[in-house]
Amino acid sequence: MSRPRHRAARSAGFYSTSTVLAVLFLFPMVWTLFSSVHGRQASGRGNGWGIDDYKRLFHYGSGLPAYLLNTTVVALITVCVTVVVTTLGGYAVARFDFPGKNVLFLVTLAILMVPYATILVPLYVFLGWIGLQNSLIGLGLVLAMFQLPFGLFMMRNSFEALPVELEEAALIDGCTPTGVLRRVLLRGVAPGMVTVALFAFLAAWNEFVAPLIFLTDGAKFTLPVALFNLEAGNFGSVDFGALQSGVVTAAVPCVAVFLLLQRYYVRGFTSGALKG
Amino acid sequence: MALSRPRARLRQAPVLTALATATVLLAACQSGGTASSASDTSAKDDGTTITMWTRSPTAIFSQTLIDAYNRGHRNKVKLTVIPADSYQQKVGTAAGARQLPDVLASDVVYAPNYASKGVYLDLTARVNKLPFKASLAPAHMKTATYNNKIYGVPHDIDLSAVFYNKALFTKAGLNPDKPPTTLDELYADAKKINGVGGGAHGYFFGGACPGCMLFTTWPMIWASGGTVLNEKGTASTIANDTAGKVYALYRRMYQEGLVPASAKNENGPTWTQQFANGRIGIQPMGATVLQTLKEGPGLKVGVAPIPGLTGGTSSFVGGDVLGVSSNSKHAAQAWDFISWTLSKDAQVDVVAKNKNITVRTDLADNTYAQQDPRLATFNKLAAQGQTPISVDFGKTYNDPNGPWTSTVTDAVFGSGDPAAILQRHNGAITESLSGNG
Amino acid sequence: MVSLSPTRAPSRDAPSSPPRARHDVSPLRRGHRRLAMVYATPLAVIVAVLFVVPLGLMVWMSFNHWPLLGASAPNGVTNYRALGDPLFLHALWFTVKYTVVTTVVLGLVAFGLALLVQEGPRGVGLFRTVFFLPSAVGLASASLLFYGMFNTDSSPLNAAMRLLAGGDVDWLGSSGNALISTVGMITWRFAGFYMLILMTGLHGIDPVLYEAARTDGAGWWQTMRRVTLPLLRPTIALMMVLSVTGSLLAFDQFFILTGGRHGTATIVIDVYREAFLSQDLGRAAAVSVAILVGLVIINGAQLRLLRRDS
Repeated sequence: MSRPRHRAARSAGFYSTSTVLAVLFLFPMVWTLFSSVHGRQASGRGNGWGIDDYKRLFHYGSGLPAYLLNTTVVALITVCVTVVVTTLGGYAVARFDFPGKNVLFLVTLAILMVPYATILVPLYVFLGWIGLQNSLIGLGLVLAMFQLPFGLFMMRNSFEALPVELEEAALIDGCTPTGVLRRVLLRGVAPGMVTVALFAFLAAWNEFVAPLIFLTDGAKFTLPVALFNLEAGNFGSVDFGALQSGVVTAAVPCVAVFLLLQRYYVRGFTSGALKG
Repeated sequence: MALSRPRARLRQAPVLTALATATVLLAACQSGGTASSASDTSAKDDGTTITMWTRSPTAIFSQTLIDAYNRGHRNKVKLTVIPADSYQQKVGTAAGARQLPDVLASDVVYAPNYASKGVYLDLTARVNKLPFKASLAPAHMKTATYNNKIYGVPHDIDLSAVFYNKALFTKAGLNPDKPPTTLDELYADAKKINGVGGGAHGYFFGGACPGCMLFTTWPMIWASGGTVLNEKGTASTIANDTAGKVYALYRRMYQEGLVPASAKNENGPTWTQQFANGRIGIQPMGATVLQTLKEGPGLKVGVAPIPGLTGGTSSFVGGDVLGVSSNSKHAAQAWDFISWTLSKDAQVDVVAKNKNITVRTDLADNTYAQQDPRLATFNKLAAQGQTPISVDFGKTYNDPNGPWTSTVTDAVFGSGDPAAILQRHNGAITESLSGNG
Repeated sequence: MVSLSPTRAPSRDAPSSPPRARHDVSPLRRGHRRLAMVYATPLAVIVAVLFVVPLGLMVWMSFNHWPLLGASAPNGVTNYRALGDPLFLHALWFTVKYTVVTTVVLGLVAFGLALLVQEGPRGVGLFRTVFFLPSAVGLASASLLFYGMFNTDSSPLNAAMRLLAGGDVDWLGSSGNALISTVGMITWRFAGFYMLILMTGLHGIDPVLYEAARTDGAGWWQTMRRVTLPLLRPTIALMMVLSVTGSLLAFDQFFILTGGRHGTATIVIDVYREAFLSQDLGRAAAVSVAILVGLVIINGAQLRLLRRDS
């Protein structure tokens, strides 16, 4: 077999295999999207297209706007707290010496060693003591805590990758470290911050077990918990149409954010933060 | 769990233990119980919004009462419906967080647990002031009483009875006024109905719904002279031949296709749907289902007592109780609502009118009950049925992961002698009932 | 659309160890010690309050009779009897089974995908993105999505099975079926994620080695066995740590798909049950401590594998 023909055969094999697999991977999402806007339940008639599923979802329980708002609030708290805390912490750890630095770094990384689910029961008790049970703020803080190890590692690496000279010069010019951070360094570590924010957002938006345990008031439920209740059924039937429209509603922001920022997502893998 | 949370490698973490022990002292300051207002008997209608939780099977019943109350009162009750499967966990997490709603409905079988664990406010003084206290459904009152204190009052009576579709009976050549009086007859009838075609099946049950299964099959055991639980509710006695025969019959009906295959996965939310659509000949269900059934040419509903193997009848008298949660800040307003639900107005003009059983025996013989012979059947059953009481009932029997679920699934869908299967699982059930596991 | 490619990110091979006292900390910076501590304070506070304290509390709770409501009191090691409970033992056995099956299936699928799209003709980036896309969907959402696929009459899965097997398949109706169905869902959800990890590892292998193998006349399989797999061992170990930990702590998927029915309760479902159904936080904490210790040991062993080769 000559080389070009060989290559052509290989690439035909690649395209056919990949296309079959791609169809398999996309299929569940496409089918769910399709059945959320098509069929008897969706159209309210015998068949055809319609948005009835979304209308029923809109009015389910405390209403879709409430669930979306709750989920957004939790995700925002998680993202903001994670980014601010790990940027400041990453700067301190990367550029300065201070007592307890190594202990702080190690204990933060130890969060990864402690299986998330096992610590939820004591956290539940403890949040009760400090009055943050059944609170979106408490939930957001807990989710941010679980993002700290990855975030700190990522930000420390981001700061270390910046040339020290830039900063030294500014310091000699009379800038305070805070001024240096604000005017010089933040721009340099911005991609790292986006990566940290992206990971925090995806984790917080999709979190299921923590809100299931920490939130008790139906009006405070996040979208995944509300959808679970929808799945468990009411009044003698499970509304699969509304459930599918709910899955689409929950997935769309994540897929959109990921497609927009996938460059930053991949950075999370290659920065060494994953393999630590 | 979130696999997407990347984990870094770590060399050592010895500091943790040292820091951890520092928190030990903190643990001592866990909050104690709440102040009980046992002597308070007030009821207020002052425009407060009262929150209430109920489990999904009771939702329509509760909402009907609430709508009537909200129309005539300044207080407004806001109902949250919680899936039956997750009700116990939800109450658990909320109770630990002291975030329970003002009014908490509870399946009667959970009531002993909630009464004993401090979930409910002591209502003894308030209940004692009710002029009709003596006529409140006795089984419900017993489950909501702990150490001579009353923590709840009856909300609804949901007793199990055989529902049958007279339209299918006629189609199959059976006499629609002669429901089965033994389980053998039930089997024979179901088989005949299975033959009429058109997607109709003889029988149905919620095979993956532990609560549905005990609600409908225990009366068959009781009616045949068997038992399932000891007097105190601390040991399982289901390892008996009578029970074995009941589940053997279930297995036979399932294997012979008298029951739709979906029964195996039916975990409760939709277990009445097929009967409501007129596709099932016979199905034991709860009395409150009657309110939701819409009769038509394909569905004519008859009700009858649940029979035993060779005769006899019995019923599981279930339902819910209502209580004020121990963390409620609106106890007087909550009591205004609860005491109203027991009034003659509510019991006759709302409950009975919607084809439900009144929770007051003195109102059982009302105009609506006189008009519908099915209600008369229910009222008769209420007197002869049983309500098992055990503090650990919910986690043992109702929880999909509890020991009862695997027992009944194995007995009905497994292989091997059902009686032997019951024998094998009996120990695990007793273990759970005795407070462990 | 930007294609997923680990090669695009700036390579930034950071030191993989905790920071040592760095030599390049200049005298200028020493004066800012206090300021650095201020910067680190939010981090320290959150870690201390939301991690260290609850961790200690968990250990303390496990030695106490700690009901959901009411007062607690020390009770020695009584709570640890929960580890002998038949329900826990069954959950443990099921979880281990699930972990082994998931890790093997997911690993093979992800490896196949990584090899397929590691390099390729035009459009390969698009395929990478498509394979990864399910990983952007939350695990709970993915479980609900498949719940719909397994349970609705109109589901193409059921339509396909009716054609192929001549009848409806009871996707979640038994322990075995639920296990296979769930592993299928998890593979769909996570294959792209692990593919990305493996691609990062594959990318780190020096092309010179492949060239050398080719000149030696090594075939595809020999290259794979002699070059790719040995050099990929650290990455594979990392993948195993992630997959094993994630699977041992499985909750969402079974809680949503089966509710733990048909013997599919996992150990975390058991913890949840002990805490909020049996209302015994002490026993829940004891099981949690046991899981924690078990995972630290398992991960320690796997990381040893990782470290030996890196």
